[in-house]
Amino acid sequence: MATQKTSFGRDTGLQIRMLATMFFLGLLYVAFVGVLFAAGAGAITMVVVIGALTLAQIFLSDKLALRSMGAKEVSPEQAPGLHAMIERLCIQADLPKPRIAVADTDVPNAFAMGRSQKNAIVCATTGIMSRLSPAELEGVMAHELTHVKNRDVMIMTIVSFFASVASMIMQFAFFFGGDSDEGSPPVILILAVSFAVYALSFFLMLALSRYREFSADRGAALITGRPSALSSALMKISGAMERIPSRDLRQAEELNAFFIVPARAKGALRTLFATHPPMEKRIERLNELEAQLQRSGSAIAA
Amino acid sequence: MGFLDALLGGKKKLAGVAPDRLFAMTTAYVALETELSIKSAGSAGIVFQPLATSDFAQILKDAEELLHGTAQEQDSTLETADDEFGYRWLVLRDPDFEDLVVSLNTIATELQGGGYGDRLLAAVFAFEENGRRLYFIYNFKRGSFYPFVPAPGNQQRDNEREMRLKAQVEKELPIEPDMARWFPLWQIPL
Repeated sequence: MATQKTSFGRDTGLQIRMLATMFFLGLLYVAFVGVLFAAGAGAITMVVVIGALTLAQIFLSDKLALRSMGAKEVSPEQAPGLHAMIERLCIQADLPKPRIAVADTDVPNAFAMGRSQKNAIVCATTGIMSRLSPAELEGVMAHELTHVKNRDVMIMTIVSFFASVASMIMQFAFFFGGDSDEGSPPVILILAVSFAVYALSFFLMLALSRYREFSADRGAALITGRPSALSSALMKISGAMERIPSRDLRQAEELNAFFIVPARAKGALRTLFATHPPMEKRIERLNELEAQLQRSGSAIAA
Repeated sequence: MGFLDALLGGKKKLAGVAPDRLFAMTTAYVALETELSIKSAGSAGIVFQPLATSDFAQILKDAEELLHGTAQEQDSTLETADDEFGYRWLVLRDPDFEDLVVSLNTIATELQGGGYGDRLLAAVFAFEENGRRLYFIYNFKRGSFYPFVPAPGNQQRDNEREMRLKAQVEKELPIEPDMARWFPLWQIPL
């Protein structure tokens, strides 16, 4: 089959936004490197040092993350159900099997770590495993596997490289004292540039991270074929299950008078600072995918 | 997956069905039976994710009816089973091994024709050797087979036997070279 029909379309808009964000980050970093070179030897040394630190981060981040979460790698004997579920998802996603870890905490969460597909590790907390139904947990694990497949840890680490350089320069401005009389830019200018680079890259990185979350949601829907299971999981995790009221309408009517719509800070600012897109947006996108799936279905049947 | 795919957050679809090598099982079976005295257990199955869309149900029903039609002539049976992981199995029982392969291929082709080829997880063939179960699993995404020999105990497998099986049939059967992809399937309802 040359042209394979698929259940979901492409999300070109998301890809364009992701590409634009990466382009601006790249541009920013190229300009920054230019300024650093102009600043002379001290700055170059700093880039090398932080390069080494980033490499260390790439190789150690999985262990650090596991330790900070108190997570332990589990064998197939210890968690047969989780292993079997992930094995099937791996066949479906055409991925090698990652290592699997469980963190003993009631906080419902899951994450993926590791620099490459072969070194990946996915972790779920006992809290998320007890709260979600098997299909919902499958959606969440498929989301994490998509992060592995998309190499998100690697990409975000690389992208954060120059942001760390900028932040280090701000902290150790004294490195640049002394040789400003040889025609190189004064310390204050480097500081200003570093601050600008740090601030801008901070927001661009957050934006990129949000786009990649959307991608991972989409990938999870693709792998499991059940977008609604993931949105239901997201709702449960965010404690938003109350949004689908379980209370009888007649009973709720009496209480309605006492409800107050909570006054929330305007969304835009909160959105700008988040690593993850707002839950409502993610659920909205997943609902669109489910609609697409159902539509493509009826189109084929017709 | 290429560099650009990684940069853009992944391919926008799952790997499709690899070029069909399901029929290699037919020739491999001759070798298994004559040289190794491994017999077909008379059953094979296909496992996939059932989608909750109306046309998926319809395509499945069509495939099943198609098989039921031929099943009566061939003295074979078709069963459906859902496992605890939310996957559906179509289980075929037929004393004639070649019929099993043909029937499995029919189901796979029907699902692919309906645009749901990417939902297919695997095809599984059951064999017996001195009263012990062996399986060959066909991974549709990669177009390759691998042996799976469960051992007594909770989710244990006999890796030694699996590797020997690989060596014994790799001339006839396209075996998955990367052993990290020899994913087990527990609770096979065959």
